[in-house]
Amino acid sequence: MQDLSLHGRLNQSTIVEKVKRIVILLDTKKGVMSVVQLPKVNALGFFEIRLESIGGLGANLAGKMLAEAGVVGAGLNGVSFSSYGSEKKGSPVKAHIRFCDMNTHIRDTSPVERPHVVGVFHEALAKTVNVTSGINEESTVLVNSAKTPEELKELLKLKAGTLAVIDATSIALKEKNRVNMAMLGALFRLCPFLDTETMKGVIEKSLGKKYPQAVQSAITTFERGYNEVKFMHFELPAGESMPEYVRSDVSPLGYETQPMGGSIINPGSTFLKNLSISRSGMIPAYEQESCINCAQCDTVCPDQCFVWEERLDRKGRSQMFLLGIDYQYCKGCLKCVGACPTSALSSMREKEGYADAHTVRHTFDLVDLVAQS
Amino acid sequence: MAIDYEKEIGSAQVEQKFLYESGNEMAAYAAHQINYHVMGYFPISPSTEVAQFLDTMKANGQHDIMLIPSDGEHSSAGICYGAATAGGRVFNATSAQGYMFMLEQLPVQAGTRMPMVMNLICRSISGPLNIHGDHSDLYFALNTGWPILMCRDPQSVYDMNLMALKLAEHAKVRLPVMVASDGYFTSHQKRRVQAFAHRADVHKFVGEQPPAGFTDTLDRNNPVTVGPYMNEPDYINNRYQQSVAMYNAGEVFEEIAAEFAQLTGRHYPTLEQYRMEDADVAVFLMNSASEIIKDVVDQLRLQGVKAGALSPNMIRPFPQKQIAEALKNVKAITVGDRADSVGGHGGNMVNEIKAALFTYGNTTTKVISRIYGLGGKDFYAEDGHAFFQLAMDAVVADKVEVPFDYYGHNPGVPAEAPKRLLKPMDFDSLKTGLITVNRNEETGKLSVKVPPVRSLMKKPRRLSPGHGACPGCGIFSGLELFFRGIEGDIVALYHTGCAMVTTTGYPYSAHKSTFIHNLFQNGAATLSGVVEMFWERKRRGELDGLGLKEDFTFVMVTGDGGMDIGMGPAIGAALRGHKMIIVEYDNEGYMNTGAQQSYSTPLGHRTSTSSIGKAQQGKVTQHKDTAQIMAAANVPYVFTGCEAYPQDLLKKAAKAQWYAQNEGLVYGKILIACPLNWMTEDKDGTELVSKAVESCFFPLYEVEQGITTITYDPEAKDKRIDASEWLKGMGKTRHLLKPENEEALTNFKNEVQRRWTRLKAKHEHPDL
Repeated sequence: MQDLSLHGRLNQSTIVEKVKRIVILLDTKKGVMSVVQLPKVNALGFFEIRLESIGGLGANLAGKMLAEAGVVGAGLNGVSFSSYGSEKKGSPVKAHIRFCDMNTHIRDTSPVERPHVVGVFHEALAKTVNVTSGINEESTVLVNSAKTPEELKELLKLKAGTLAVIDATSIALKEKNRVNMAMLGALFRLCPFLDTETMKGVIEKSLGKKYPQAVQSAITTFERGYNEVKFMHFELPAGESMPEYVRSDVSPLGYETQPMGGSIINPGSTFLKNLSISRSGMIPAYEQESCINCAQCDTVCPDQCFVWEERLDRKGRSQMFLLGIDYQYCKGCLKCVGACPTSALSSMREKEGYADAHTVRHTFDLVDLVAQS
Repeated sequence: MAIDYEKEIGSAQVEQKFLYESGNEMAAYAAHQINYHVMGYFPISPSTEVAQFLDTMKANGQHDIMLIPSDGEHSSAGICYGAATAGGRVFNATSAQGYMFMLEQLPVQAGTRMPMVMNLICRSISGPLNIHGDHSDLYFALNTGWPILMCRDPQSVYDMNLMALKLAEHAKVRLPVMVASDGYFTSHQKRRVQAFAHRADVHKFVGEQPPAGFTDTLDRNNPVTVGPYMNEPDYINNRYQQSVAMYNAGEVFEEIAAEFAQLTGRHYPTLEQYRMEDADVAVFLMNSASEIIKDVVDQLRLQGVKAGALSPNMIRPFPQKQIAEALKNVKAITVGDRADSVGGHGGNMVNEIKAALFTYGNTTTKVISRIYGLGGKDFYAEDGHAFFQLAMDAVVADKVEVPFDYYGHNPGVPAEAPKRLLKPMDFDSLKTGLITVNRNEETGKLSVKVPPVRSLMKKPRRLSPGHGACPGCGIFSGLELFFRGIEGDIVALYHTGCAMVTTTGYPYSAHKSTFIHNLFQNGAATLSGVVEMFWERKRRGELDGLGLKEDFTFVMVTGDGGMDIGMGPAIGAALRGHKMIIVEYDNEGYMNTGAQQSYSTPLGHRTSTSSIGKAQQGKVTQHKDTAQIMAAANVPYVFTGCEAYPQDLLKKAAKAQWYAQNEGLVYGKILIACPLNWMTEDKDGTELVSKAVESCFFPLYEVEQGITTITYDPEAKDKRIDASEWLKGMGKTRHLLKPENEEALTNFKNEVQRRWTRLKAKHEHPDL
């Protein structure tokens, strides 16, 4: 817990930080406006940030650190929260942050729908989530990607706004740290009212005790995120308008179409889902020549990625043969690589287009939908 | 309440400090400052964090609250009740189904007048299972006899927690008090919050010690009988006393709130009124939504609409008089209930407000009732505007067109109505004939033949791909391997847990065969009912038209958590001998709610409720031996298994099916890895469960007709490893290898060895 008492313990922060905090607190005591100025605010007085991520990339933590840097470090008022559910690691998640000055009432608990800044922790999220929902032409969309801003504009179907790009995954792999630290660095760049030195102090404080060896790499990752983010602004073409904001809490299924009692009458339907966004950079590669079809990989696979075929072996007996991997469901856990007794499965850094080019699709025994209707 | 920092800091008599915390953190923060004696708890979202934060603080030596991880909420309420009779201060936090499970205990505690404080972190009631916030659990609390304080933001969670204890212990009250805040909206949103800077000031406010002179079951010199058998004509007098105490609580709260305001500058009137002085139209909402509506009121006032908002800080006793007074000159009010009292023509709040108006002779204010925000559906400012519009329309029309309705529901798009996509699984490919089980009539023993795993790849999976479990999750590799050993059709029942939520996220389901979910204290009983209905309908010939080729195999799937809270019903089902399999995937903790300790968590292992700190190094008790408990119920077959030994598990699955179809109940435990909460790489699961076996922590064995057989003996194979070899591979256990934890490590190893030695003795002696 962040203890801001003047009389309480000031933890292991730097002297500079202590002094800063005291100044902020004194100001607060006097009821003076905050020491920093927000670049823009909405009608209720908020500067709003939404982080779009998948569970496990640390967006929740990054959101918390960002919010604390604003509220604790910069003397702003604010609120922060994540979308919660039973979503597991690898599922889409959101974090929401609102900053305002000290005298603004914080009453809204609803999610950030019209953000000034969006942070997208995984570019592939754009395939399944409307990550830019509610932005306007003055919003900034930060994306973790190796692509160019122009390519991303295409991918995100962005009409206008500022694209900020940072290859956080590469930085994290190189610095042996986490994607969220690089993203956090880039987000600080988008929030000039936040103090990077404070953040480094927080990193040192939170990691220093338990993982002192990780402090330097976290700080380097954070700094690289801050320094290497690239920007490009896209003007709204004349005569066009930004997409209308669509409220996110309406389901296509309603009380007239939901089967009674919440029962699901199309069981097995999860096969429609694409889980490739759950991967965090690594992927198993399959090479058929050295495969002995022992099924060890399939036995340990949590996600039914292995596709088999029954055919005659050289002795003319019916046998099962592994055809390959259906990457639509592969979350990149790499358990199969460890289980493989030969060199048929190996791990590799996932390259753009590899999975699509090498995937072997499962076949499903589908109902004839035309006949059904 | 919204905070005016300047005013409040300036007017506080007792030094306050700023924190940036969530509602759950503030509930825990207040509890740790009070330093309650006992908290008996059981994890349930979104309240679980309260116990987690307290555990972390305890590990760091910040308080001495005895935190008791119970085996279910019914037990947690029992622990709290018992502790409350024993004279100390008692605290708890729960939500939704947890609250429902303990419900029976709550009027007992109120009726016997034992004070405590419980936080209800409000969440919707199942089923279908929904973990997000509404007030459907809260509305069940209305009739329990507990005073209920309401919290609109993290600040009020803290403040109400301090006031609640003083209220509960007051001589004119002596009732357990509930503090209700909104799940996620308040429990998980961080805000700037003020708190007492010094614990001594907290104690000065609530009292150093609970007041003396009341029932104390530990007072040797004053023996007392608590909870007697009391029929008519006495019971009604007991209830009258309770009713008086409840109304007293309303007055006492006002006194306490006034004192609190003096100390802190933060005042909580029983009924909060926002710009109600001259309001023509108003909206009544509770907790988090009642803050959002204030922005709407401000916006409407700018447009010249005389709008106001009402929300109670206490709903038991209900502030009837204050509400009637506030609405005296209001022309129309929309009352939003975040839960329905189904069939009551309105939620509980609207009907109580109508009663208030009637009681005080107001027949002119128009009342519009809307049910909104169910199951965590967000309440936006635009919804607030819609509520005001309803009130304004009623004023203009001089009548309420639709007095009661839902708000925010939608009919759906017919074209997107669900349709069956997959054909039912082909029976013949499920019944491969590759697995055979035969009973030797002379010895009574089963002989089982299973093919190499490779051959079974032709057998369809019971699940579709596409479930939402974490990368590297061991549940589905373990379960699917088990199911590969089962021939023919199954009906599965899953307890609440990771396997259930990741496969049934609406509107998708990964289950290709029929699947039932029931809450995880009651799966064994529920499947018992399915099984017996199967046999009864089969006997009556009613299944003939349903395409059945052979009898179903009934399988219940549970986590280790479900075998804690559901242990009673599991043993009940075992003793009744229903023909079904209970298979437990054991990942050594309550992973679905965020990795709290279960009874299967081994000694010293780190979880979110067995933290590591200077005062505590992980879990303090040894792991539960569920397989031996179930074996003691004398069921025909008990087994253990894991994915690292596939042939072994397949054989056991085949035997399990035979016994569940021919003899009675089967129980099996499959150890599975949870990379996220074991703090390991995603890829390490198979190796880790293998090491758990090789260290003899998790022996592979079966108990068949009472006879124990170790099916894989690492010692005989010369593969036994030291438990440290297993523990060093997991982030949750690495601390056990440090010199300062040598004693715990030795205790753990000794326990493993003791159980292994005993198992070997059973293996060698068929009579054991």
